[in-house]
Amino acid sequence: MRYLSFIFKSAFLDFSRNKGRTILTSLGILIGVLSVVLLMALGLGLKKYISNQFDSLGANLIYVMPGNEKAMTSGAGMMGGIKFDDKDVLRVKRIEGCEVVAPVFAKPGIEMEANGNSETGELIASTDEINIVMNLQLEEGRLLEHRDNDKRAKTIVISPKIAEKLFDNQRNALGKTITIEGQNFKVIGIYKSKGGGGLGGSDMDSHVFVSNAAAYVFNTEKKYFAIYAKAESKDLIDRVKKDIKTSLLKRYDEKQFSVVDQAEIMGTINQIFNVLNTVLVAIAAISLVVGGIGIMNIMYVTVSERIREIGIRRALGAQSKDILYQFLIESVLLSIFGGIFGLGLAYGIVYLLQSLFPAYIDLISIILSLGVSSVIGIVFGVFPAKKAADLSPIDAIRYE
Amino acid sequence: MNYISFVLASALSDLFRNKLRTFLTSLGILIGVASVVLLLAFGLGLKEFIRQQFDSLGTNLVFVLPGRIFGQGGGFQATGALGGIKFDEKDLFNLKRIDEARYTVGVFSKTMKFQSGGKSEYGSLYAASEEIFPARNLEVEFGRTFDKTDVDKRSKVVVMGPKIAEKIFGKAPLALGKNIRVESTQTYKVIGILKSKGGGGFGGPDFDRFVYIPYKTAYVYNPTKSFVSLFLRGSSEEDVPIIKQKINEILLKRYKEDDFTIADSKEFISTISSIFTILNSVLVAIGAVSLIVGGIGIMNIMYVSVTERIREIGIRRALGATEQDILYQFLVESVLLSLIGGFAGLGLAFGVVILIQPLFPAIIDLVSILIAVGTSSFIGIFFGVFPAKKAATLSPIDAIRYE
Amino acid sequence: MSDIIKVDKVWKEYMMGDVLFQALKDINILVKEGELSAIVGPSGSGKSTLMHIIGLLDKPTRGKVFIQGKDISTFTDNKISTLRNEFVGFVFQQFNLINKLTILENIMLPSIYARRKLNYDPKEKALYLIKRFGLVGKENSYPNKISGGQQQRVAIARALIMNPKLILADEPTGNLDSKSGNEILKLLKELNHKEKMTVIIVTHDQLVAKETKRIIQIRDGEVVA
Repeated sequence: MRYLSFIFKSAFLDFSRNKGRTILTSLGILIGVLSVVLLMALGLGLKKYISNQFDSLGANLIYVMPGNEKAMTSGAGMMGGIKFDDKDVLRVKRIEGCEVVAPVFAKPGIEMEANGNSETGELIASTDEINIVMNLQLEEGRLLEHRDNDKRAKTIVISPKIAEKLFDNQRNALGKTITIEGQNFKVIGIYKSKGGGGLGGSDMDSHVFVSNAAAYVFNTEKKYFAIYAKAESKDLIDRVKKDIKTSLLKRYDEKQFSVVDQAEIMGTINQIFNVLNTVLVAIAAISLVVGGIGIMNIMYVTVSERIREIGIRRALGAQSKDILYQFLIESVLLSIFGGIFGLGLAYGIVYLLQSLFPAYIDLISIILSLGVSSVIGIVFGVFPAKKAADLSPIDAIRYE
Repeated sequence: MNYISFVLASALSDLFRNKLRTFLTSLGILIGVASVVLLLAFGLGLKEFIRQQFDSLGTNLVFVLPGRIFGQGGGFQATGALGGIKFDEKDLFNLKRIDEARYTVGVFSKTMKFQSGGKSEYGSLYAASEEIFPARNLEVEFGRTFDKTDVDKRSKVVVMGPKIAEKIFGKAPLALGKNIRVESTQTYKVIGILKSKGGGGFGGPDFDRFVYIPYKTAYVYNPTKSFVSLFLRGSSEEDVPIIKQKINEILLKRYKEDDFTIADSKEFISTISSIFTILNSVLVAIGAVSLIVGGIGIMNIMYVSVTERIREIGIRRALGATEQDILYQFLVESVLLSLIGGFAGLGLAFGVVILIQPLFPAIIDLVSILIAVGTSSFIGIFFGVFPAKKAATLSPIDAIRYE
Repeated sequence: MSDIIKVDKVWKEYMMGDVLFQALKDINILVKEGELSAIVGPSGSGKSTLMHIIGLLDKPTRGKVFIQGKDISTFTDNKISTLRNEFVGFVFQQFNLINKLTILENIMLPSIYARRKLNYDPKEKALYLIKRFGLVGKENSYPNKISGGQQQRVAIARALIMNPKLILADEPTGNLDSKSGNEILKLLKELNHKEKMTVIIVTHDQLVAKETKRIIQIRDGEVVA
């Protein structure tokens, strides 16, 4: 115990004697750890952001889409392939444990005009059940109801963003008319902003909702590009998916459609970001290696400056491993200082970023950064320490 | 001259005396420069790869697509392709009157199930006129392409891309002369298999996976007789802007401005490239962090060097060296350290690029070289100036008495 | 003969911990061109500080130093460096040669820092001095490979390479045996006698001092004789 505290004490003494050198050497590791931890934090934050986006859509959702799964996740399947009709919707509706079923027709890139203003968005036509599967909350007026579909009412529910763009003010929008490709729709409601957009999901606030019946003018075939369903509970998701598949296989080939749940879609998106994040972290880790080389370099300097001191210690009975530990502890401490301060700085930056982006540092990042900095201290410190330990005592004490 | 060579020579001899230290210090910069240059090389290689992919499928192409493809931000608005108008034979006929266009082709494409023997495979049915082959530099490996007569007579023939032919028939040449069923309803004779164009991915379509059919034959799948896109090929680059302008004039007679997009290959390439450029810049920026760390290493070792040589500095000052003389001495040393690392890093990057050349067309261009040499000199100056300044401003009397 | 150095009411003070230490107190010295003088005093008397001030390595706290009639307190660091380069030749007790440079390079070092074009070839001159001081064959040796006496002769050669007006020797014989010391002393006297150089020798050794024509005694920072 006394031995250990002695070694640490002498290491700290050396650091305080060479403050500038200690700071600069640790600074290299600090920057490396900082960039690695920050990139990991941003990656984690991104994942969380995506999962939040999906959660805001509501839970236990199942998507029935054309094309096989591989094509679907790459977005290619949506272009060609099959479209679903009312018969398919009925099949899905009959499945036990399937709480809500919303057939969806979507028309992206539509031009909406009102009040002399215009705005592009995506038209989504469905039944009132879309309110549940897309987790729409009311802000003003009312959401789509069953009667809108039955009466083929030309009613539309828009986002606050579109309301503001077209009518300058949300409140002005209610009851007004929006023209979409020559068709007039009456604004009956505004849903609460979903925020977000970008990153794997489309901008939810550019969506406008009409009933399927009202959209037949655009959807002359009366077909749907997807069916959104909601399972009664999480445990039922797998069974419901299987049943939907079995039922649709009676009409379609297995490659013509896919049934996926949120977790699968999220998994695919996460996978892409994971790869990207790993590449970024790996490139950032190069700076840790460079920092490690800096430690090695400075430790060699320290050893050669203290050859006489080493000789004196050896003359007083220190074994070569005592010398080895003395220098190894010094290099590991240098590296760990950098690691801890890098981590601290990363925490600070993440804290400042919090309002803009949900980056966070998890336990793994902490363990990884401290672990990696210790390893760097050892790996790059062992060569100089070995050199010090291997000096012959007599040469060392006579060294000028 | 004498002075400069003296400063250089003494810096070099100092670096040479501390070989290990010089090696380790430069190694930091070496790693930083090598990673930055390699990342730039990969970025450039990728861009070049994309460009070649596009060029191999025909140059001087002008595409006409429904909707607005290019968003305000310069990025793709893929959604545009889904909605919007569809072109018809009248559009094709109108566009054919553009004299500058050597080929004018309308395309209809749809995902279909193809069957032969017991095997079935999904792929894109690509319906166009016989001009598709010369317009996109597509050549047959086996058999022949369909011709104008096939189009006009609605011959029940198809030409297959090599990849899809291989999937269905095991080997591409085996497809020739065989019959293929589309969506279990119609049967077509395979009259030709194309040479592989390779690639695909990176935003370009994979022409090896298409099944080509005379567009009039495909009207069974396309009751509205529409085209999802049209493209024209000019004879030379100068034709491209004229063709684009004429297309615009013609189409505006029928459609609104926002209903269609006219784009040439260059615009596609630059849009795709710009996405990769952003990603590449992020990577290079993160790679550059190691250069900063390497610079800190230089600064650290230069401070050590100054401390070790305080007496020498004092002697030089006593003999008449000015502050600048001392400053230059140490600055030259730190810049040399950094440049050695920079050149070695550049060399390493060149080696790696040559080694991976067969796998990936990574490119080191003059700009990368200039960046490598420029940043390493800059790092040497920036991180060397503090220790050098410290050395220069030492009081001569304190320095010469330093133990 | 004109005044080459005038030390006018010079004080040098510094803090040693909390105590103000007065190394030089109101020093007034006039040195004429061509003089051979000695500044003598026991260690700690302030003679080294005085020599550093005369040699333009240090600045007085108060008072002025005139070199050839010019007040150097107004000079920039660069101008002072140039004066050190051209006007003064130093000979130190510890030789102060740079060990990593060869004998020839050491001797030529001041000429590297010369601000004006020299009207002679410094290398030729260096080789001449090597020959004159009996160092032939050592041109490419390193300082730590030759004897103390030889090292001091190298230092004198280095001091002479720029043809300075003033040679300042700080305990030049301090680290040498008496035989080598006498040789060095003879050399310095010769420079004064034959080449009309102004030579100031700083020493604690009265025997060395006796060899000069003028003795300035320093004790506790004051000129006593």
